[in-house]
Amino acid sequence: MEDRVCGARCTACGKESYPAHAVCPKCGGLEFEAFEVSGEGKVLTYTDVYALPLDYALRYLRLAIVELNGGLRATGQLLDEEPKIGKRVRATIGVVRTSGGRKIHGLQFVPM
Amino acid sequence: MRKVAIIGAGMTRFGRSEATLVDLLSQASLAALGAASLGERRVDAVYVANMGAARLNRQTAVASALVDALQLFPAMAESVENGPASGASAFKNGYQAVASGMADVVLVTGGERMRAVNNLEATDFVASLSHPQAEYIYGVTLPALAGLFTRLYMDRYGVKPEHLARVAIKNHANAAKNPYAHIRQEITMEGILTSPDAVVNNPFIADPLRLYDCCPVSDGAAALVLCPLETAQTLGGPVVRIGGIGQATDTHAVHERPDPTQLSAVRLAAQKAFSMAGLTPKEIDVAELHDAFTILEIAESEEAGFFEKGKGHLALEKGVTALSGKLPINPSGGLKAKGHPVGATGVAQLVELVWQLRGEAGQRQVKGAKTAFACNFGGFGNNVVASVLQREG
Repeated sequence: MEDRVCGARCTACGKESYPAHAVCPKCGGLEFEAFEVSGEGKVLTYTDVYALPLDYALRYLRLAIVELNGGLRATGQLLDEEPKIGKRVRATIGVVRTSGGRKIHGLQFVPM
Repeated sequence: MRKVAIIGAGMTRFGRSEATLVDLLSQASLAALGAASLGERRVDAVYVANMGAARLNRQTAVASALVDALQLFPAMAESVENGPASGASAFKNGYQAVASGMADVVLVTGGERMRAVNNLEATDFVASLSHPQAEYIYGVTLPALAGLFTRLYMDRYGVKPEHLARVAIKNHANAAKNPYAHIRQEITMEGILTSPDAVVNNPFIADPLRLYDCCPVSDGAAALVLCPLETAQTLGGPVVRIGGIGQATDTHAVHERPDPTQLSAVRLAAQKAFSMAGLTPKEIDVAELHDAFTILEIAESEEAGFFEKGKGHLALEKGVTALSGKLPINPSGGLKAKGHPVGATGVAQLVELVWQLRGEAGQRQVKGAKTAFACNFGGFGNNVVASVLQREG
C-alpha cells in the first residue's frame, strides 16, 4: 500500500502540480518526476461533514484544503479539535478510508 | 448557422416517483411535444440528458429506450452525460443540430431517477464526480465541497448564515407557487435559524451548510422541443429564441484553482452566452441559477455579472432577487425547493424560463419578462453551461 501522496514536478519548468496531470499546467510539458506532498502549511478552509459518505462510521468527518509552504494546495482530513482558517498544520499520512476491507492511505493534517 | 427557437416545454412534477426512468422521460417528452404543435413534422433527433442510469437504475443507452417508448424511429438519438450539467449540455447539442441544419425538429429530454437508491448511495453517486485520488478518497462529497467553499466565502466576503437562509426562504416561497416543485412548503427564518428548535429542524450537513442549504434528492424529468426560428414564427403564439449558449470548464480538484472562491467557468460561460446574444447582464429580466447549495445562488449571481463579486448577498438582502424584485432569481424554486434530479435540472431551468417568457408561469410569473438567463453548474464548477433566451417581438 502506498504510504505517501505524490504530485508531479514538470522536468521542463519545475512546476509542481497536485494532483498530477498528463500535461503541465504552466508550460505544456509532458515529462514529470514524482514528488511527495508533505511539509507544513496553513488551513485555507475546512468543513465538518455530518451527512457521512459510504465507508465512514463517525459522528462527523473534518475535511480541509491546506496551503502548504511554497503555495501547493491539497485536500485532506483535518485532525484538529480546534480548527481555524489560517491555523498552521503539518501533513501526515494515515488511513483515510477503509473500503471493502481495503485500507486507503492519504493526507491527514495535524496541528503544529 | 440558422437561428433556433424553443417551441415546446414540459416536465414531470419533481419529487419521489414510482415510475421508471423511461416513463418519467416519456411523460416530460410528451408534455413538451404536446405543447409544440408540430403537426405533420417529425422529430429528427433526440438528446437525452442523464447522469446516473447505469449506476442508479442499471440501465444504459437510455436515449434508444426513449425513442422506442415514444415510437420516434428512425430519429437520431444519443444520451449526454456531463455530470450535473448534462441537461444544458444536451440542450447545447440540440441547438447545434438545428443551427447547423442537420436536424429540423429536436427533442431534448433530461431525467434522473435518484430515489431508486438510498440517500447514502445517491450522495456517493454524485461524489464520484470529484477527483478520485485527490478528493474522493478523503470522504469528499458535493455537500463537503460546498461546505469548504462556503466557509471561505463567508470569511472573505462577509456572507452570514442569515444570507444563506434567505436564499432558502425565497426559493421555498417560489416553489410553493410551482405545481411541479418537489418541496412546496414555505419556511421561516425562525424555523430554520433563529429559534431554539432550529438546530433540530435544520441540522448541519457540511458545516457551515445546514439541511435547508442543500437541495433535495429528487426524481423527475423535463423536456424541450427545438426547431429553426423561421419555422417557429409560422406556428403562432409567442416565440422564444435561443439567444446564446456558452460553456466553460475549470480544474477537476477544487483546491487547484488560484482562488477557490472564484467560479471562473461560470464567469466565462456567462460571458460567452451574453456575447452571443448581444445582451448584457443588466438587460436580463429573470434568471434560473444552479442553487444545489444556497451559497451557489449568491456566487453564481456575481460570476454571471448581475452583481459585483462579494456583493450578491447584499442584493439578496435588499430583495432584488425576490419574485417581486428587479431581477427575480429562481422563480421556479430553484434546485433548492423545486428539486434536483441531476440529468433533468439543466433542461428544467430552461423549461421554467420558456414558461416565464411565454407568460405561462402562473402565480410565479415575472411580469413582462422578455429576456432570461440560466446557469447549469456541473461538478463543483468544473463544467458550466450558461444560456440566454429571448422572447421575439
